[in-house]
Amino acid sequence: MDLSTVNAALAAKSYPDLAPICDDLFLQVASQGAATDGWPYAVHLLAHLYLNDLNSARFLWKTVPQEVKDAHPELAAVWKIGQCLWNRDYAGVYTSAQGFEWGPEIADFVAAFIESYRKRIFELLTSAYSTISVADVSHFMGMSEEDATNYAVQNGWSLDAAAKMLTVTKQKPQTNQKLDASKLQRLTECVFHLEH
Amino acid sequence: MDVECEVPAAAAAAVTNGLGGGEASAAPAPLSAEQLDVEAYAAQYLGRTRLPRLLFIAQRCGVESIELEALRMAHDEARIREDTLLYRDAAQRIDGRLGPRYRYDQAWVDAVNRRAEQRKEKLETELNGHKAHLIKESIRMGYNDIGDFYYGHGHLSEAFKSYIRTRDYCTTSKHVVQMCMHVILVSIQLGQFAHVTNYVSKAEQTPDELDPIVIAKLRAAAGLAYLETKKYKLAARKFLETGPELGSNYSEVIAPQDVAVYGALCALASFDRSDLKSKVVDNINFRNFLELVPEVRELVNDFYSSRYGSCLEHLEKLKSNLLLDIHLHEHLETLYKDIRHKAIIQYTLPFISVDLNTMADAFKTSVSMLEKELAALITENKINARIDSHNKILYARHADQRNATFQRALQTGSEFERDVKAMLLRANLMKHDFNQRSLSGQRKM
Amino acid sequence: MESVETLVAHIQALSGSPEDLAQLHGLLKQADGDALRAHSAALLPLLPQLHPAAHSLGYLFLLDAFLSAPANLKAHAGGDLLATVANFLVSCSAEQIRLSPDKFLNVCKVLKSEAMQLNAPIRGIAPLRAAVRKVQPSSEHLTPLHAEYLTLCLLAKQYKAGLSVLEDDIFEVDQPKDLFLYCYYGGMIYIGLKKFRKALELLHNAVTAPMASLNAITIEAYKKYVLVSLIQNGQVPSFPKYASSTAQRNLKNHAQIYVDLSTCYGNGSYSELETFIQSNTEKFETDNNLGLVKQVLSSMYKRNIQRLTQTYLTLSLEDIASSVQLNTPKEAEMHVLRMIEDGEIHATINQKDGMVSFHEDPEQYKSSEMVEHIDSSIQRLMALSKKLTSIDENISCDHAFLMKSGRERGRGFDYDDFDSVPHKYF
Repeated sequence: MDLSTVNAALAAKSYPDLAPICDDLFLQVASQGAATDGWPYAVHLLAHLYLNDLNSARFLWKTVPQEVKDAHPELAAVWKIGQCLWNRDYAGVYTSAQGFEWGPEIADFVAAFIESYRKRIFELLTSAYSTISVADVSHFMGMSEEDATNYAVQNGWSLDAAAKMLTVTKQKPQTNQKLDASKLQRLTECVFHLEH
Repeated sequence: MDVECEVPAAAAAAVTNGLGGGEASAAPAPLSAEQLDVEAYAAQYLGRTRLPRLLFIAQRCGVESIELEALRMAHDEARIREDTLLYRDAAQRIDGRLGPRYRYDQAWVDAVNRRAEQRKEKLETELNGHKAHLIKESIRMGYNDIGDFYYGHGHLSEAFKSYIRTRDYCTTSKHVVQMCMHVILVSIQLGQFAHVTNYVSKAEQTPDELDPIVIAKLRAAAGLAYLETKKYKLAARKFLETGPELGSNYSEVIAPQDVAVYGALCALASFDRSDLKSKVVDNINFRNFLELVPEVRELVNDFYSSRYGSCLEHLEKLKSNLLLDIHLHEHLETLYKDIRHKAIIQYTLPFISVDLNTMADAFKTSVSMLEKELAALITENKINARIDSHNKILYARHADQRNATFQRALQTGSEFERDVKAMLLRANLMKHDFNQRSLSGQRKM
Repeated sequence: MESVETLVAHIQALSGSPEDLAQLHGLLKQADGDALRAHSAALLPLLPQLHPAAHSLGYLFLLDAFLSAPANLKAHAGGDLLATVANFLVSCSAEQIRLSPDKFLNVCKVLKSEAMQLNAPIRGIAPLRAAVRKVQPSSEHLTPLHAEYLTLCLLAKQYKAGLSVLEDDIFEVDQPKDLFLYCYYGGMIYIGLKKFRKALELLHNAVTAPMASLNAITIEAYKKYVLVSLIQNGQVPSFPKYASSTAQRNLKNHAQIYVDLSTCYGNGSYSELETFIQSNTEKFETDNNLGLVKQVLSSMYKRNIQRLTQTYLTLSLEDIASSVQLNTPKEAEMHVLRMIEDGEIHATINQKDGMVSFHEDPEQYKSSEMVEHIDSSIQRLMALSKKLTSIDENISCDHAFLMKSGRERGRGFDYDDFDSVPHKYF
């Protein structure tokens, strides 16, 4: 079993690419009939979680043999994060990630996952709320109330200290309106098509 | 959104504020169920219809004094008309509460029935005699007499059959019309409104010009039939077309006051604003009817002048009495609901924003109830607006034409793509089927 | 009659040019009968002398002959045989194996059934994926392998792998049964991935395909079609007029409980639907649809909240909770948040006032991404309409079609008829 591509992607921290790499390699390895006991299931599972592809994560978990699950507590720990994501237990994601001693080959990946997850959740809060309590932000972001407040204020939100309420400032999404000449060509083709 | 809607919110408030005045003094206090004057009510009607009407009131009114009054009158009426079936009904329901004079009198019933039996035999013998001599006109008259006899004693189905039999012996348009009128009368009392509609059109199709009174009667009967079959718009049209010649000429079926009430309610529930103006408000004919029931006249005017609060108040006051009407009671809730919805819709139509507090006042309801009603109407696509439940304001919805067009174009595109692909696939399957048959199973890959 | 060794020598010599291959094909066909069958057990050791990519045709004949004898399979069960077949399917030359597609299909089927026998469906996925591509004349052709491949994906829970064949548009079908299975399994893959819109398209095709008599696949597809329609659109559309009369007449009778479910869904009451599902749990379970049914139930909250966005600009969390039958305002908040996260509504929650504001779709159709999206739609539709035109022209020239349409007009086939056939209809 040649895991060099997986390890290379891990080393290069190109985490978004990991899931397709793992998927393909896994099928290839399987078709040769090789034993999959040594397969890096934990990395594979986390790669799906990193892309928020919970369906694939769930199906992968279902196919892992029970012996492998029992033998690798790390894998079970990754799945615990997956369960929290599946059940939208926002705070649980952080506690499951922090509640395990990760091995050196996956620790960076877990940290990167938490960072990207936190960023995604902050974007969600920004779009979904106009005002939100400090307590809830701390809950959603997996931070202490103070850290959460700082994080939010740094991102332009304002704090009503008395009510412990944050007012969300929404960033105008940057939209690119520039068009290149090829579009004009396409338009011409389209009109030509309609007329003939 | 058209220009009409760009009325500033201040104007909206002004209009609604104008609603408050003049409500208390608007109408004479209408009757509630306790105040129903049964005698005056019964006086509007003639003939057999009084009996079921009185019994209906007795059953529904829920006030003992009125119940007994109605039963007493029904009892007397039944004795006079020698209708032993309804007499028995009335006497049993009185149940001794009006003293010995109103106890069930079996001897009287037997005597009446005996006499009726003799009379019937006589009529039948006469008819058979006419039949033996093959004199068409006499046979017709014979059947008519038997019909009248049955009708008089409350045997409606037999009456119906006899009247129908005259059809084969009618020789003039007048006879046909008479036959139709008899059938309509009995059918209404039987509650068989499909026959009513049928025979109304049969009468209207006779070649000779009809008497205006007959025309008015036919319109009113048709209106009743549509009302009972829940076709309120058509019912409204028929009642509104009913001529003033009707007067009290049809009081064995309907009183002119009823035409006013039925017509007005059906029209309010089903007409749009312009129809309401041309067919009701400006209808001189119908105004004659409306004058008979000033409360209804007022509520029509209120509705048309957008004084919805006052209009609904009138309706509310009339409700308990109208629920005792033998024809209207079943439809009252639906009609009231439709009228209320119409009022709410028309109220919101001209504005870009409406304060729900003001509107709730105008409709004599709470803001939360109003919100629910509006939400239901918006869901049914009857009002194009959205509710700001936080600030209690209703905003008209501005469709962004450009965005909507983009959205629709993309959607149409993807539907087209999906459908064409599916179609091509099906076409290929059919081709396959065809090839299978013509090449008998030669497989190619 | 030549010995097997000679045949191997021929294969090695004649796998180059198309002419050589044609000659080889002839030789192989001659040998295919008794010669190869009789010595089938001895063929396996010969295979290493051949190269699966260079000598694909010969390799295929030998492999097929070997695999066709059940005794051989039994003798090598669980061994490297599967790996050998897998390796051949991945590396063989598409040109060569297309000379003998039936044999190729047979080899693929043996691979699939062996993988299933070993209880290792995942072993067949990569090889069959390669095989589908090799045997297809174009990506628009449906092959009998499609359904086999999708079955393996479902059994191995490799749903995503299934997408690689599902994302092509299929137009050419040789066997209707292939299509029904493809649509049904494909629908299940998309359901597993919660891509309900795509699932509906496939199930719709299975339900509305022309058919003379009802088949079990269609009935199962219809059951899922009802459930997915409810999840995706909140209602089940009536049959389109092009659906076969067989389907229109009979399908509902075979799926009565699903029809009842959709009626109940239409009433919009969560508790009522819950009761209905509870009292019919067993039936849904026997159909293996209980999971999907539960998703139908939870979509009810979503749908009711979406309905509120059509009616309200702002609404308190409390009112939302009470109108969609949730217990607390906090639960309502979580549902709304979830829907915002999934892009199902446009709204913002104001915790201070306990209110939610609903917005119109903020898309302004101005960004260059949107232009790109619109442009690609236009391109696709233009390609599609060109295809339609060319098919129309083909049909207009089709002898059988002209015969038939000529007959139906009550007179013989006539060259003048060409004029009356429309060349374009849009």
